[in-house]
Amino acid sequence: MTSNGFDHGKRGIGVRNHQLILPSVVCSTHISRRIASAVGALSFSHQHGCGIIGADVAGIEDFFGALANHPNVSSCLIVSLGCETIQGQELGARLASANVSTKYQIIQDSGGVEATVSAGILAARHLQESYPPVKAAFGNITVGIDLCRESAQIAELIAGLSEVGVETIVARQGKSSAENFSQLMLAKAHVILSFPSPDQPASGFPLIPVINVASESSLHQGIIADFDLAHESTIEATISRIMEVADAQATIAEMNGTGEILAPRLVRST
Amino acid sequence: MSLSPIRAYLRPNGSWGLRNHVLVLPLHSALSSSARAIEDACPGAVAITHDWSGEVDGDLQRIIRILAGFASNPNNFATIFLSLGSPNEEEINAQAENLGLANVVHLSLPHIGSTKLLIDVGIREASDLLVRAHEQIRIEAPWSAIVLGLECGGSDALSGITANPALGVASDRLVELGAMSVLGETTEILGAEHLLAARAITQDIGQRIIETVARYEKSINYEGIDLRGAQPSRGNIEGGLSTLEEKSLGAAKKAGNAQLSGVLEYAEIPPAGGLYFMDTPGHDIEQLTGYAAGHINIVVFTTGRGTPTGSAIMPVIKVATNSPMAMKLSDLIDLDAGSIADGMETLAEVGTRIFDEIIRIANGCETKAEISGNHEFALSRMYKTIVSYDA
Repeated sequence: MTSNGFDHGKRGIGVRNHQLILPSVVCSTHISRRIASAVGALSFSHQHGCGIIGADVAGIEDFFGALANHPNVSSCLIVSLGCETIQGQELGARLASANVSTKYQIIQDSGGVEATVSAGILAARHLQESYPPVKAAFGNITVGIDLCRESAQIAELIAGLSEVGVETIVARQGKSSAENFSQLMLAKAHVILSFPSPDQPASGFPLIPVINVASESSLHQGIIADFDLAHESTIEATISRIMEVADAQATIAEMNGTGEILAPRLVRST
Repeated sequence: MSLSPIRAYLRPNGSWGLRNHVLVLPLHSALSSSARAIEDACPGAVAITHDWSGEVDGDLQRIIRILAGFASNPNNFATIFLSLGSPNEEEINAQAENLGLANVVHLSLPHIGSTKLLIDVGIREASDLLVRAHEQIRIEAPWSAIVLGLECGGSDALSGITANPALGVASDRLVELGAMSVLGETTEILGAEHLLAARAITQDIGQRIIETVARYEKSINYEGIDLRGAQPSRGNIEGGLSTLEEKSLGAAKKAGNAQLSGVLEYAEIPPAGGLYFMDTPGHDIEQLTGYAAGHINIVVFTTGRGTPTGSAIMPVIKVATNSPMAMKLSDLIDLDAGSIADGMETLAEVGTRIFDEIIRIANGCETKAEISGNHEFALSRMYKTIVSYDA
């Protein structure tokens, strides 16, 4: 294995070097995005962190924890509002005990929108300076396979990947690729190979490069430029593409900036 | 129609917009980043993003209604739909047109051919629509042009004494003049519903508000959860609130003393002047989404802890319940009602200031959230998005 990896300490070795600006609540998503775009970090929108009850409180907190601890993450800045259900300070303490390259910023304690943005930018830059990229060789990588549709080649593909030392995890229970991506993120997949349903578009996930494989459907053929691999791609071509992506080549979803997160939810809105 | 100082945009179906937005609305989560890219490239355009991938489940009709209502809010001059061409998207468009959406552009990803091209075409369309939007002018409007949403979030012990009753003064005055005012947050009238029911214009409406609250509590209990475990929230307790009932009694004061003219489902449009109650979650952003989808065109949001929250299409005026927070977080608070607790101003005086601020903002002055560009979005769902956390 020749992939260029990044040593992310306790998070493991990643195929990307993403600094994550993690909004602990929907109310801080916009400010998080502003901080991320100013420092070249990654953030994403979601609608969670408050007004959640029952199993969702621990469930979503664990989900955010897993995002922050993903091997593709170099450091993490949590941006919290202050009065939400999932408190940034506690989430920050919990995540910092797992990985020291974690900080948090609380809007209600920081003096408003602009003060939080500027303090957040400073904190994010400080993390970048304290934890510069450390190149590392890969022991092995884990490829998550999102099977929203069946692929006749899948057994052969898994065997082929195994031969070159790549572990695979398959997610097929989800109603959508987004749901499978969340499962694969929790399993710490470095790269995702996605076989979306014939009536669903190519899609992405913020922290993990997603390689989309087209089907013969008219939708997929109509937007073939959004796919990394055509439906008739050989096992060799697929494995070779996975290796190139693990080795830093951007996927089309990464280039388009495609990537939403479906945070899990068990209980109705309250 | 009484004379009003309001100047607004008259829409083809007779409704009034207090803003003139060009909205980019993705109809699939995978199109969200394209919507955001178009927004980033076109100053003046606004976009929302969401995590719905067209799932056909118990929430389908709710989500169709939310997106159709949001697209057709009279604060939008035009809406650009980004779509995949599915039948449910056609339904969203049909409903939006029924609800009065006049200027609409459909950009279909499969028709255009790639995400990259979709963004390019979207930027061009949004720029063209922005030029047309700038040609629109505000004209004299009646008081009924104001459709006010009442909201509170991050409440504290002063909420029920300062900002909420002062907002009630402003709401009462607007309702008397012929405007619409809408109270929401079913979670936060729990324990105070009997007081609202007593103010209903008919017994049926009174009964409906009692039933709406009971239906809500039942749906939560069904999950095996006691709502009182989540409310008041930890932030509320730190702010000095002791029980859900105390929070509710204070929250209901936003609606003043006007008679209650009706009870609305989530995202339902109020039919005529008067005070209404909308069955929304307490989650601030899901509530704002329901308001926007219900064609509310301006919101006053009282807060004890402070929040940057805004909406892509509705101006959201933030009123602080206490002066220390208003001073500390001055770039996200529009108006301080804490002076009531300090004995510097009366409820009526602050109520008048809120009333005046509503008119000022309605006429085009920007709120703090609009200046900072803060706008969040959340879909309200009644059903789970996963089978279990162990799957």
